[in-house]
Order: sequence, then C-alpha cells, then structure tokens
Amino acid sequence: MPLETFNGGTPLTMGVELELQLVSFSDYDLTASSPDLLHLLARKPFPGNVTPEITESMIEINSDVHTRHSELLAQLHEVRDTLVTAGEQLNIGIAGGGTHPFQKWVERRIFEKPRFKQVSQLYGYLAKQFTVFGQHVHIGCANGDDALFLLHSLSRYLPHFIALSASSPFVQGGDTLFNSARLNSVFAFPMSGRAPFLLSWDEFEHSYFAKMEHTGVIKSMKDFYWDIRPKPEYGTIELRVCDTPLTVERAAALACYLQALCAYLLERKEEPPAEDDYLVYNYNRFQACRFGLDGTVVHPKTYESLSLREDILTTLRKMDPYAEKLGGTAALNHLMQVTHMGSDAQYLRDQFNASGSVEGIVDAAVRRFRGRM
Amino acid sequence: MPDFLVISAELAWPLAVLLAWLAGEFIHRWTKLPRISVYGLVGFLCAQAFPDLFMTEGSSPVTLLANVAFGLILFELGYRVNLHWLRINPWVPVSGLVETFATFGVVYLIAHLWGLPSMTSLLLASLAMSTSPAGVLRVINEQRSSGQVTERVLHLVAMNCVLAVLVFKVIVGFWVFQTSGSLTQAISHSLIELVASALLGAVFGMVVPAVLRHLGTLSRDGTVAFALVVVILVAITHAADLSPVLATLAFGLTARHRRVAFTRTVRNFGAIGELMTVLLFVFAVSTLSWNNVLFGGGLAIVLLLARLLVKTVSVAAFAHVGGIPWRKGILTGVALSPMSVFVVLLLEQTKYAGIVLVDELAAVAAMTLFMEVIGPIFTQRALILARETAQE
Repeated sequence: MPLETFNGGTPLTMGVELELQLVSFSDYDLTASSPDLLHLLARKPFPGNVTPEITESMIEINSDVHTRHSELLAQLHEVRDTLVTAGEQLNIGIAGGGTHPFQKWVERRIFEKPRFKQVSQLYGYLAKQFTVFGQHVHIGCANGDDALFLLHSLSRYLPHFIALSASSPFVQGGDTLFNSARLNSVFAFPMSGRAPFLLSWDEFEHSYFAKMEHTGVIKSMKDFYWDIRPKPEYGTIELRVCDTPLTVERAAALACYLQALCAYLLERKEEPPAEDDYLVYNYNRFQACRFGLDGTVVHPKTYESLSLREDILTTLRKMDPYAEKLGGTAALNHLMQVTHMGSDAQYLRDQFNASGSVEGIVDAAVRRFRGRM
Repeated sequence: MPDFLVISAELAWPLAVLLAWLAGEFIHRWTKLPRISVYGLVGFLCAQAFPDLFMTEGSSPVTLLANVAFGLILFELGYRVNLHWLRINPWVPVSGLVETFATFGVVYLIAHLWGLPSMTSLLLASLAMSTSPAGVLRVINEQRSSGQVTERVLHLVAMNCVLAVLVFKVIVGFWVFQTSGSLTQAISHSLIELVASALLGAVFGMVVPAVLRHLGTLSRDGTVAFALVVVILVAITHAADLSPVLATLAFGLTARHRRVAFTRTVRNFGAIGELMTVLLFVFAVSTLSWNNVLFGGGLAIVLLLARLLVKTVSVAAFAHVGGIPWRKGILTGVALSPMSVFVVLLLEQTKYAGIVLVDELAAVAAMTLFMEVIGPIFTQRALILARETAQE
C-alpha cells in the first residue's frame, strides 16, 4: 500500500489522544474490561472518540481538532466525566499514568481485533508488555515538508515533553528509579526511536517509505513506533513520547506547549535541523526518562550541558507571546507550576510513601483522574 | 501390634485429600474441567466406599479445618465486594434481591406441591437461595477471569450468602420454637446469632487494618495477618455457636472498606489456601449418603432446573438497565449455579441445635452432590462464553 497523500490542513490545530488504564476496584490491578466499557459507552453519544487498545485493560480516547486551550480542555473534561460515570456504573476505575505500578503483563488479554492479534503474533510478549499508557499530540501542518521540518526541529525539545509528562516510575511492583519507565517498553520495538533525517516529503515518500515497503518490513505508517511521526492522512505530526498524565488538565497543557513551540519553530528563526542534532538525541532522551526535571541535557548545536528544568523554564518564557496569540497562556502557567512542584512521577512516589503500598498509588491515581483531590 | 483400623482412620483424610488433588490435576489437564468438581466427586466416592473412616462430628478437626477453609474464601469474597458500587448502580442489588427471593418462592412452591411438609419446603427454599462462594471464587481464580460477569457474580454471591443465611436462620428459629416451644431459645438461635456474628466480624475488620497500619507493614504482612484472624474468628464462632459465614464475610467487607490504602491479599491465600480448598471440597460431600442422594434425586433435579432458570431469568432481566448486554446477563445468572459447600456448612452448624437436616432433607443431599460436581462447570463455561477468562 503506497503512502497516503499528505492532507495538509490548518497549521497549528491540535488534537489529543490518551491511553487510559482500566482498574479493578477489588484489588486495584488492571482489569480486562474494555469490551464491557465500550459496550456501555456505545449506547450514548460520546463527546469525542473512544477506541479499544491492544490489551483489554486499556482504552484510548481522542479529542476533536482544536485551536484553543479552553476548547480542548472543555472537551477533555466532558470526555473524562463521561468515562468516569460509565466506569462507576461497571465498577471500573479509570486512571492516567504511563504504567500500572504492579500489573503482570503475562495476565493481560489481547483485544479481539485482527490488527492487535497480528501485532501480538509478530512481537510475542512485547505486545503484552506494551500495556503502557501514552499521550499522543497531533499538530496540524500545512504540507509534508513543514511536517518533516517540525518533526526534526522538535527533536531538541523532546526531553521537555518526557520530563513534564513523566508518570511511570513503578513497573511490575517496584520503583524503576526512572521517572518515565514507559518509554523503555516502546524502545524494544524494532521500528521505534527516531525518524530518518529527511526534510522533503517527496524524498520521504519515494526514497524512504517506498523502499521500506519493498523490504516487506512495513505496510503503513502505523508500523512505525517513532517518537514523532508524520500522519499524512490527518495532515499532522504526532508526538508520542509523553506518558499519559494523571489529569486531563496536564494533557491539555502539554498539547498547547507543543502548539506554541511549533508556532515558534515555523518562523524558522532557529538554526535549521541537521542530522548531527541526533548525536545527543538518545542521551538526552535517557536523561529525561531517568531523572525527569532533574536531568541534564546536551544542547545539540552548542554541546553545552543544560539543566533540563532550567531549559524548560527558559523555553516556556520564550513561548509566552506565541501562547498568548493562540490562547494558551493558562497552559504554559500550568507547566510552569510543574517545574516548581514536580511531575506526576514525583506525585506517585509521594503516594507510595504515604500509603505504604503500590495499591495506594493506583487508588490515588484513580481519584486524581476524577479531579476530586 | 498397631491397630490397623485406627491407623486407617487417621490416614483416611490425608489420603483422600491427596487422591482428590491428584485426580483434580489429571482430569483438569485432560478435560479442562474445574479441579474442584473432581475434588467433590473423589470425596463422595471415598465416603461411600469407607463410610466408617469418613465419619465426622461437628467438633472434629476436619470440620473445623473445613470451616477455616470456607472462612478464608468468604473473607476473600467480602474483600472484593465494593458496597459503593451497589449504591451507584442499584440495578445490581435489585437483580440480586429479585433472583434470591424469586428462587425462594419457586423452590418452596415446587417442594410444597411435591408433597413435602411446609417447614421442610421452607428450609429447602432458603438453602436454594444461596450460591456457594467456594465454587464461584475458586473457578474465577482458576480461570483468572475479569469482566462484568465476574464482577457481578462476585457481588451477587455475597448478597445471596447473606440473604440465605438470614432467611435460613429465621426459619430454623421457627423450627426450634415449634419443637421446643421456647421463644428465647428460638431467638437465640436466629436473631442474636446473626447480629453477634456480623458484629464480631466487623469489629475485627476495623481493628486488624488499624493495627497493620500502625505497624506500617500493610503490604508485607497483610495476607498472613488476615489469614490468622480468619482462623481465630472461625474458632470463636465455633466455640460460641455463632455463624462463621457471616462473621468472616463481615470481616472481609469491613477490612476492605476501612482501609486507606489497599494491599493485595494473595488470591486464594496462596498454597495453604489451595490445600484447604481440596480438604473443603472433599469434606463437603463426605457428609452425604448415597441413599439420600437416590431418594431425593428426582426432586433435586426438578429444583435445580427451576433454580437455574429463575436465577438466570431474574439476573438477565436487569442486564440492560444495569449497563451490560443481555447475553452477559444470562451468563451471570448461569454462573450463579454452585451452592453445595455453602449448604453443607450451614447444615453442619445447625447440628448443635439438635436438628440434623441432611437426613430430613434428602433432596438437599442430592442437590448438594449434583451441584458440587456440576455447579463449578456451569460457572466455568459461563465465564468462557463471556470471554472473560485468561484463555485467548
């Protein structure tokens, strides 16, 4: 199947996808309940879109296309309230967070859908280990070339999104000492990581995608698990490194930060992206995953060491005028707070210390998602 | 020279348990049938082959162990019940009330029309209301199932248990009053027993988590502490002629709802829990005699079919308003089939009141045997058809 045409749309529009955890109220473990929840949700109109995910303990919701923070947040609130109400009717807790702190991947069930079954057959246990929960943000691009320009220009800012959204410190019952352990699960897939350094859509389509398709390794863009990937059918680029935050407020704020950054980058005032930017890419990515806001990253152009927290604060201040124009000032203020108060990963560790158990973490995450604490 | 018969009697139970476990493993591997169905069958065959070796009294260690095993299961059930859900989705408790009392009515009617005396029919009807947590919970854990059928069955089983115990004890109270003429004795055998048992469990449910929290070892020591307290609760209720069923269930329920943070109690209470289950299922049918099963077989089959139908229709009727598909509603009703172990232990506890109901109620013996073997298979099939088991 050849690569779809890049349906260029309105630049800087945004949409959010959130993968969410379905939790049993009996023991706070994940529960294979997505068929039941989807059945109930299908009985009434849903304020967005809800779809199954690879294992039956997950669902994915996505927002419509928005231009302003207030509209996006209002819809995410509506989606959240609908989900929480339906979940309560079925005794299912719904939570954000990049990983479930103690679920055993071996106990997960693959959702009955041909694509999921194929993925499971190809990747074996990796498919079940993929029971991790991310936020994807789409930003509209005028054309394919802009999309590839943004994709590579954003590589320098990727650690910001990892650190600000980090909410997966616990895996299989233990503290991983990472702030975002989720990305390590994604890294196991052969088609993960960074996209090839190509800035022309024509070249991407004919020199890269066509060859890859010819090898038989991939069939569509869906087979790439890149950190940022172009999505030609939507006319967007999709940022995939964020853990699902514990609240929809943070999810909306992250989307608006990316929107402001893209507005800034599209002015092309910064030095253009280069292949060499990727020399420090994996190291910076690791620092953000491991140490979160306390990480130290290397600037890809100057090779200067920067405190990630300071770098985020500087960038947030720089983005102020862009956010103001786009109606996203409240979003940047929210993220400013995160750099002071700590990420969701920090919150989850605090909950573990306070409750003394991994179940206490899930209990807190379920309550935090409802916005009632 | 050692007395061969004495040694045999001492060896009978451990050997029967070992045999049941082995048979359970082999047959489960070949047929995928629930292990507990096999345990029951082996127990019944052993008891019929050597009736003298498997004689038990109310105070025998085997009876006490069986009660502890059942107590652990009831605690686990109580611990998994979310009372908050029953308030949010009232159709779940409504379906529970309807299926329980409709079963009572229909079973009473059939037994009465069959020609049984009124009191016997009432007792039969109250026992038929129940669903055995032992059968259901073990199958759920064995199949590692999760989903709405699993969730609803667990909550309905808890409701069935409580309602069945309440109604059964009230009827026994009347029975005592009719035979002894003493109202005090009747009340002490029903109302006081019920209230005291539930209170005792609730108090433990509040104290134990508080102590564990104070010790700061909630996640590490939770399972052991809860298991130990179940043993103590069963011993106290046994000594004080109270209901271990209500006490352990109330303990689980309160412990769950009184805790700030939750810890996983090991499902099935680990290997010890598994061992106790084999004993429990072997014990449950060893109390039945083949004569009673034959004598009550006809009525038992009619009653069981009626019970299955009533429970299934009642639960399915509220499926859509309760938020699940009709199909899952029907399967939830079918999954409520097991009843044996609960009935046996309830009857065992009534022996001290001088009422030996198993002999009075031949149909109960037959129902118990059939349901001990068939009930878990129904639950297992219902969960598989609902696509809620771990198999893909």
